[in-house]
Amino acid sequence: MRKLVWRNLLRNKRRTLLTVASLAMGVFLLCVLGALLQTFNPTETETSEKRVVVRHAVSLQFELPEAYWRRLETLDHVEAVSPLSWFGGIYKDTRPENFFSQFATDPKTLLEVFQGIEIDEASGEAWVMERRSFIAGRALAEKHGWRIGDEIFLKGEIYPVDLNLVLRGTFTYPDDQAQENQIFFHRDYVEEALANPGMVGTYWLRLDRLESVPVVIEAAEAMFENSDARVKAETEQAFAASFTEMLGNVEFLFGAIGFAVIVSVFFITANTMAMAVRERNTEVSVLKTLGFGHRRILGAVTAESAAIGFIGGSVGVLLAAALVRAAAQALSTMFPLFSQMTLRPGVALLGLAAALGLGALSGFIPGQAMARRSVVEGLRKVA
Amino acid sequence: MKLPLKYSARSLLVRRGTVMMTVASIAFVVLVYLGVLSLAGGLRSAFRTSGDPAHVVVLREGALSETSSFFSLERGREVMALPGIAKNADGSVVAAGEVMILNNLPRRDGSMSNVTFRGVSSESFQLRPALRIVDGRRFEPGTAELIVGRRLSERFPTLGLGSELTLGQLRFRVVGIFDAAGSSFDSEVWGAAEDLSSAFRRTGYYSSALLRAGSEAEAAALVQRIEDDQRLRLRALTEAEYYAQQTAATTRQFVLLANMLAVIMAIGACFAAANTMYAAVSARTREIAALRVFGFKRRSIMGAFLLEAALLGLVAGLIGVLLALPLNTISTGTTNFLTFSEITFSLRTTPMALLGGVLVAVLTGLIGGLPPAWSAARKHIPDAMRAV
Repeated sequence: MRKLVWRNLLRNKRRTLLTVASLAMGVFLLCVLGALLQTFNPTETETSEKRVVVRHAVSLQFELPEAYWRRLETLDHVEAVSPLSWFGGIYKDTRPENFFSQFATDPKTLLEVFQGIEIDEASGEAWVMERRSFIAGRALAEKHGWRIGDEIFLKGEIYPVDLNLVLRGTFTYPDDQAQENQIFFHRDYVEEALANPGMVGTYWLRLDRLESVPVVIEAAEAMFENSDARVKAETEQAFAASFTEMLGNVEFLFGAIGFAVIVSVFFITANTMAMAVRERNTEVSVLKTLGFGHRRILGAVTAESAAIGFIGGSVGVLLAAALVRAAAQALSTMFPLFSQMTLRPGVALLGLAAALGLGALSGFIPGQAMARRSVVEGLRKVA
Repeated sequence: MKLPLKYSARSLLVRRGTVMMTVASIAFVVLVYLGVLSLAGGLRSAFRTSGDPAHVVVLREGALSETSSFFSLERGREVMALPGIAKNADGSVVAAGEVMILNNLPRRDGSMSNVTFRGVSSESFQLRPALRIVDGRRFEPGTAELIVGRRLSERFPTLGLGSELTLGQLRFRVVGIFDAAGSSFDSEVWGAAEDLSSAFRRTGYYSSALLRAGSEAEAAALVQRIEDDQRLRLRALTEAEYYAQQTAATTRQFVLLANMLAVIMAIGACFAAANTMYAAVSARTREIAALRVFGFKRRSIMGAFLLEAALLGLVAGLIGVLLALPLNTISTGTTNFLTFSEITFSLRTTPMALLGGVLVAVLTGLIGGLPPAWSAARKHIPDAMRAV
């Protein structure tokens, strides 16, 4: 029986090949969509769960007083506090490829709060010492061809000041490569240029252990309950998720597209199998006469189309694995978020399973009609 | 001698089942393409209807949007006293200094988003004639009342008519729902500028000023005057230009996404079309030979099969368009990446997009049909005659 399945697959090689190819395109697309969607839900790392972000309760448009810094440091379970203000300046022009995150911060505490940042000691010290200096993620520095000692100009958009910064070091962030698409510089320098308004966008707190997270969140919010500027405290994940949330129903959009892809692929494979089954009326009747049961005939057809599904799915997954880096590069000019897109095994497996399932289903439906048809009717019918 | 169109059309009808399945798979390609494009179309039209070319938006120098802009009330008054601004019958200028505040609020599904609160003056209504109250009434300045865009109030449960919410230091009440004819103001909450700035402790500042010039030419002159005035340190541009810039990046991204999806899916569908057409050719081997014997040229045979494939694509394209039309009734929301604030809009399939969708389908059919048509045209007559 296995041989029959195999022979039937090769009986019309061109048809099998075309079906495999169109299935492969569908699975490729599903895998890429899955990989894209996963960039919205970054992996949770050990250290990030121990960090809490404190921001103004109204929205990020509002800043918090500098005085909150020392007060947050007095909270139990808090080991270090660092201020981070989103500068949002324009580098060269407003094209997406020149976009990267820019944070005004306090160098000393930043490296205490983000222990995942790896920078060689000499560069780190040089940065801490020099007011006008900045550090950049290695990937970002390479992308723009910045070398140590190079100066960059940022035109202020949110803040009414322009900055001239000099590169003193590059860092890596092995836990989460997406973090390398940013630069850090001295908030003192920005404050001075703004005539010392004494404001901070967000405070980042490193806690002693995971269990302290809810306690600290509650304590931080309670601390400023009756102040002019009430705060919202949340985990680093929740903070990151709030940006994705604002996007709205991305998951629904991608889900709808994925569903349409699956339906489209189903029509394609079902069509192939319907064609394949139709031309076999006579021979199936012969098989039945020879004593092959309904179930075996149905099984053979289902196995045949499942095999097409599996081959097509595998090709699609391989294609996606090979092209995902190139796709990430191409997309990152428009969507910086996607520069770190990778194909995770879960997504690949899901794509393969979808192909296999669709293949089996599209063989099963015409196969059932074929298995049920009476021998006499089948023999009488001419293809 | 050419084969009539009817031959290709009727040939399609012979193998209804197979053709229908292929048509369905191509129609879904068109549906996805149009679905994503309708996001771009809706977004673009929401912002295009917002901007009047005779209006001038004034921002702080360097600011790209109203939310990141601020300047003193004094500077605002200076700008609103410039010559070239249209005047009412009573001599007052048609200009409004406004305050923009983003406030994080929960959507109906519990997710959070930044909602734009616009603090306005009475001239603000005059400057947006499309805005009208559809339920309740306008707010009274000084009484902490708000009016909300209808689409926004549907998406945010705390912004329904009659609901109360605490903003900064004050308790506000929603007293009216307005409709701004699909423009981006539909995604805003309006209140008196003084009320909102004191609630959020933002007194003493305007985020932006909106000025009406007598004509488009006068608007251009006014823009030039403000830009040239080094002392003001303000940025001016026409309202139409401002809103076009607000969506440019996001709509480009949607268009890119739509094209990418369409290309990948269409390649897959091409293979499906090729499969169908190969089956058609092989089923009609003897018929093709007969046609050749009657004197039809290879070229005509190939043309007939190509036409058949194109027709298949056309039908699929039209079905895809029909499936996509109901999208126009859906309204959705996302965030404006320039300001990180919620924008609601209706999906819109533009005529150009629909045409593009049909084109994608016809091309899919044609490209998929090319190799089978080629093989049909090159069949060896005696062999073909003998085929079963």
